Amino acid sequence: MKTLMAAVMSVAVLASPAAMAQEKWPTKTIKLIVPYAPGGYTDLTGRITARFLEKDLGQTVVVENKPGAGGIVGTDLVSKSAPDGYTFCVCSVGAVSVAPVAQTTQYNPLKDLAPISIVSTIPQTVIVNPKLPITSIPELIAYAKANPGKLTYGSSGAGGLMHYSVQLFDTRTGTKMLHVPFKGGAPATAAVVAGEVDLSFTNMTDALPQMEAGTVRGLAVTSGKRSSFAPNLPTVEETGVKDFSVESWNGIIAPPGTPQPIIARMSEALKKMAADPEVKEAFAKIGASPVFTTPAEYQATIAKEVAQWTDLLKEIKSTKN
Amino acid sequence: MIESLQLLGHGFGIVLTFDNLLFCLIGALCGTLIGVLPGLGPVATISLLLPATFALEPVGAIIMLSGIYYGAQYGGSTTAILVNIPGESTSVVTAIDGYRMAQQGRAGEALAIAAIGSFIAGCIGTLTIAFAGPPLARVAQSFTSPDYFSLMVFGLVCAVVLANGSLFRAVAMIVLGLLFGMIGMDVNTGMPRLTGDFIELSDGVSFVAIALGLFGVAEVICNLEQDTTRAINSAKITNLMPSWAILRQASGAILRGTALGSLMGVLPGGGATMAAFSSYALEKKVSRTPSRFGRGAIEGVAAPESANNAAAQTSYIPLLTMGLPTSATMALMVGALTLHGIAPGPNVITRQPDLFWGLIASMFIGNLMLIIINLPMIGLWVRLLRLPYRFLFLLIVVVSSIGVYSVGNSVFDIYLMIGFGLLGYLLRKLDAEPAPMLMGFVLGPMLEENFRRSLITGRGDLSVFIQKPISLAFLILSVALLISVALPFIRKRREEVFQDE
Repeated sequence: MKTLMAAVMSVAVLASPAAMAQEKWPTKTIKLIVPYAPGGYTDLTGRITARFLEKDLGQTVVVENKPGAGGIVGTDLVSKSAPDGYTFCVCSVGAVSVAPVAQTTQYNPLKDLAPISIVSTIPQTVIVNPKLPITSIPELIAYAKANPGKLTYGSSGAGGLMHYSVQLFDTRTGTKMLHVPFKGGAPATAAVVAGEVDLSFTNMTDALPQMEAGTVRGLAVTSGKRSSFAPNLPTVEETGVKDFSVESWNGIIAPPGTPQPIIARMSEALKKMAADPEVKEAFAKIGASPVFTTPAEYQATIAKEVAQWTDLLKEIKSTKN
Repeated sequence: MIESLQLLGHGFGIVLTFDNLLFCLIGALCGTLIGVLPGLGPVATISLLLPATFALEPVGAIIMLSGIYYGAQYGGSTTAILVNIPGESTSVVTAIDGYRMAQQGRAGEALAIAAIGSFIAGCIGTLTIAFAGPPLARVAQSFTSPDYFSLMVFGLVCAVVLANGSLFRAVAMIVLGLLFGMIGMDVNTGMPRLTGDFIELSDGVSFVAIALGLFGVAEVICNLEQDTTRAINSAKITNLMPSWAILRQASGAILRGTALGSLMGVLPGGGATMAAFSSYALEKKVSRTPSRFGRGAIEGVAAPESANNAAAQTSYIPLLTMGLPTSATMALMVGALTLHGIAPGPNVITRQPDLFWGLIASMFIGNLMLIIINLPMIGLWVRLLRLPYRFLFLLIVVVSSIGVYSVGNSVFDIYLMIGFGLLGYLLRKLDAEPAPMLMGFVLGPMLEENFRRSLITGRGDLSVFIQKPISLAFLILSVALLISVALPFIRKRREEVFQDE
């Protein structure tokens, strides 16, 4: 059934007049698929992007939410969509770089997706329940080592970025913490506030208001650089953990085989977007920073991340055996 | 208290401007409309309208988006009562007695009581946010996984109480529902389970597809089997508006439903659904004539409708006092607030008093608008039932398909709905009721998730469920309720079996 569908689709692609029509692209409504539910960080990024692209490309851009399986459903859909320049994905790191390693996906992120540009990044924040006697990453490591297996951490679900980044942290520091999966990042953050779990590597947007109110204690950010939203928080690497840099991104990805001129035009629009003051302000409100990368840079980022998570899985497996 | 009243007055000052009243009205109207259309929920609508609010002031935007949410609660019961289609999990129980009432020609009465109950519950729920928000939020926070697990167990026992016929069949249906709830991604390993390699099933079966299929589509098939020239509600429509006697009869149910709903609304996940189900179970328990339930009892409409509306209001408490969303809609509100530069967190009340008190004041006004919008519409809805069934069933199928598609933009869900329609038809032929099955389906995943999480954080020790006082209380309640249900049932079994429906 699925192969038949794929065959039908590829015939349709060959026969489509897209190749001829690309001169005047875009001539009709563009669809931005958001593989997550409305209201989340990726959805908001998608809506901000759609608004800018509408102005810049002079065509209607609609956001369509295709949630499911941590973004795999929507990302898979885009990887199989007609490469006619009218369907794009507001992809996120979870479904592109983590899920294909952690689970089985029908798409290979390095072959079946045509990345155009990362549009925004947001660091994860290491938060702990304030009742714990832990105020820094070295203290966290010391506490975890003194009480092996005692500390629990909440994640958005098994095999997601929030889960894997703690596993990476465990491997780099030699600690061992107990994973407690939740259904989404917000309930995991709520569990840290309530003290049901001890800590979480959660996204900055969820963490900021709670840190300000003192309901959780922020220890560090996971990105390579400090975040302008919480400039007093060090990066995990600054505190002495080597080779640890995890960042959540959203980027625009096209179906494979999308004509080069369309990708180039889209890339140009996204470059303008990253410099647009209105966009910058809109991203700031959701705790993100606008970013621009070339398609080649984006591809390299994905390749690097896929390699990092593949290595991590191998390491975890070898220590288990 | 006095200070709260002053602040509430300040809130009214903010809402009573032309712009904000207009936004409130737009929200209430949109909400009513989407509430009536089954499947089309507030999540889809709010996300659609979200970009349109970019240009508005944050307070106006939130007032409008909130209006959509609680407005949808008013409309949600309409199709449940008229054509046996509960568009949301909170109106599943309303369909049981509401639809019976419609068949008896009392649709107007049922709709009016649902609207009046929603209004009273909405106002009391709003008062609860204003005066008891922070303490209730702390109560909600003291709930941990073992407590939720026991609460879900209690919910499943309530589902047994829902059943009118055989106890054995009710339990079988709950178990079937639990099994359907198992489909999807395993929370602890992230591996797909029972999905038959359909990626569309990796997040589980869509609730809307299963509800519209089991109730709506199955009902259509059953009706078509009979003479189609006969209108489904052949009985003469008697009263459009309820008499004082009916109002008095429903008043206790409305107040009890409101109280349960206000309390349970603050709980994440299934709070509102649990409130609707348990308020129905409560009414059936306190009633001197429990046999009327399932046969068109007004309390069976009044209680769950009040409960779900009160819960809709108080589900704002965790969001506004702590910045923690408890449902998909509330998560969307977080998104909306964030886009408007307000990070929802524990400081919202002190830092954004205009937003907090303005929103609360708008809820009173919005509820008032909703009752004014909804009561005159009842006549219109009831007239819809006079449509010849050959048109009405097409309308039901088309509207259901649109609704089911709109949830995840997925055609697969329409096929699922058809499949569940056939299953629902089969179950009817076997005299098995769909409501307990749906309850099992809704509670199953939460039951499992919290059970497994309790065991992870409790390091595999089962005694966590009796060590926590809240959890223990719910378990004792469940056992007591189960015994009270089973005893008379066993005794009365003989007479019930031969009783004609």
